[in-house]
Amino acid sequence: MTLEIKDLTGGYGQVAVLKKESFTVKDGQVVGLIGLNGAGKSTTIKHIIGLLTPRGGQILIDGMSLKQDVENYRKKIAYVPEMPILYPELTLKEHIDLTIMAYDLDHDKTWENANRLLKTFRLDNKLEWFPQNFSKGMKQKVMIVCAFMTEARLFIIDEPFTGLDPLAVKDLLDIVEEKKQAGCSVLMSTHILATVQDHADKFILLNNGQVRADGTLDELKAKFNMQDANLDDIYIKMSNEDN
Amino acid sequence: MNNLWRDRLRRHQLDQFKYLRLIFNDTFVLAFIVLLGALGFWYSNLLDTINSELWFGKIVVVAILFITVQAGHLATLMESPDSTFLLVREKQFYKYFQSAENYSRILPILLIAVVTFLLSPFAFQGAHISALSIVLLGLSAVIFKMVLLDIELLGLYGQHSIANINIKFASELIYLVVLLLSAYISAYIAPVVVLICWIVLMNRGQKWASEGQLQWQKAISDENQRMFRVKRFYNLFTDVPGVTSKIKRRKWLDFLFNSIKLNHKNTYLFMFARGVVRNNEYMGLFLRLTIVQIILLCLIDNFYVALIVEMLFIYLVGFQLKPYFKEVMQNLMQRLYPVSDKSKIADFTKISNVMLLVQWFVNIFAVVYKFGLSSNSLLINLGGLLVIVFLNYLYLPHQLKKYLVNGENI
Repeated sequence: MTLEIKDLTGGYGQVAVLKKESFTVKDGQVVGLIGLNGAGKSTTIKHIIGLLTPRGGQILIDGMSLKQDVENYRKKIAYVPEMPILYPELTLKEHIDLTIMAYDLDHDKTWENANRLLKTFRLDNKLEWFPQNFSKGMKQKVMIVCAFMTEARLFIIDEPFTGLDPLAVKDLLDIVEEKKQAGCSVLMSTHILATVQDHADKFILLNNGQVRADGTLDELKAKFNMQDANLDDIYIKMSNEDN
Repeated sequence: MNNLWRDRLRRHQLDQFKYLRLIFNDTFVLAFIVLLGALGFWYSNLLDTINSELWFGKIVVVAILFITVQAGHLATLMESPDSTFLLVREKQFYKYFQSAENYSRILPILLIAVVTFLLSPFAFQGAHISALSIVLLGLSAVIFKMVLLDIELLGLYGQHSIANINIKFASELIYLVVLLLSAYISAYIAPVVVLICWIVLMNRGQKWASEGQLQWQKAISDENQRMFRVKRFYNLFTDVPGVTSKIKRRKWLDFLFNSIKLNHKNTYLFMFARGVVRNNEYMGLFLRLTIVQIILLCLIDNFYVALIVEMLFIYLVGFQLKPYFKEVMQNLMQRLYPVSDKSKIADFTKISNVMLLVQWFVNIFAVVYKFGLSSNSLLINLGGLLVIVFLNYLYLPHQLKKYLVNGENI
């Protein structure tokens, strides 16, 4: 799976948040999308999953745009939003059934996957619960289970590490690694730089709706001329460039 | 403090006005008038059948007045941040509450006046209570409402009992007794007794309150609950932000949708079926309207009125299911599912079809009970069927498509 973003311009209404943004996510890559509040991380994600329509540029998944084939484009993506969104009327078990139906997945095989994930996140004894009984972190875990049990090839996770307990963060990173080994790609936006630094292959630094720099940690160090730096240092240096 | 009250009241009234305007839309007014007419017709028929005093007549009058007095509470319009920001003004809050109490009196007084007025022909005919007496009884209800509001105000200061006797409970009991005495012996008893209570409370109220302490937490949570009840009522007719309806599991109803096969085609059927069964709002809407309709159909002799009731109520249920579709579609995840708009709409009309047909089917019994196996019965039921066809095959698909594809508000 390859995600290609070429000269993407877009935003909400008349305000252009993204200005000619370009980057790619290749097969089996875990990519961290990094930037200050308002840099355009969530806006980029909303364009990729098709909640916003680009004003200019292209977004291609395996060479295919959303317009060309809506249903197949959507089947390739799984998305975990920053704020969990669940149906108040459905139990946890029914959320999984609904996802299986919506993505037209194989019932038994997917349930096998789901059960494994539910066990990992210690939700396997809460199948009959309604969302109103779940804490925020638990809801987020439900979203993660529903996303990672699908056969999507690109996983997009918006701020995955806030609200999860440390054990769940570790479990999530294990699952991400597993998907990576299977050849899937993962794009995650986050502020928790220390965590993402150890687990992503590549970083995209967004600033004011543009890609300021991208590459591996070593490449970024070279670009910013900071040899002993970690991601935090580079991030702060980039934010100071504006002033 | 007076300014604070005035500001809040103005904001509150603007809010209420906004919702009331939404509630009293054309369909509702029409339904309301038909309902009112039908009830009026029934009431006047009922009065015609009463020729002599009924043994339970006075008890009915007393019960209705006593229940009416319970309606309406102290609207303090307090907000959650008050307990942080206005804590320092605690001393001045009594004045604020007095303004609140004045305002809270208006609606209950109007309600008591209307109920007493409507009750008077029955009281006269069925209970042999004279016109002057019924006026006195109504007056006692008005004064007792003032007493109850005073007691609620004392409750905000933690003053619930005198000498270990719960004030509210004791006064309710006293009022019930004097109402009965008034109805059977002399109508002057109730107004005089409650007037004395009220005068005592007016004189001593502030002192009693100052001996207690303002219960911020309770005052705010009471007001929040009161507002929630009001908004939930509005929510029956229109979308109120921040009011989410209750969800119940209702496992015993699972059989209703267990036959839906778990495949891609049925994605939304699966979802909608569970929603309408478990969401109290839509289940409640369906049951309330269907039950009212059955009662009306069992009472109405007139063919045309019955036809209108049959068609109108089916239309109302179908029309008010529409917000449920919107509610589900506003969920972000559903926009990412690889499911076509067409199948979403088809699944929704399927659910609406099932619900309306159940409603229609139950009504057949009421219609046949009243009109027998006649051509009138047939016409009324056909009328209902016609509305279902119109709703599910013309109106809803068109409206839902407008909403999904063009993003228009429906």
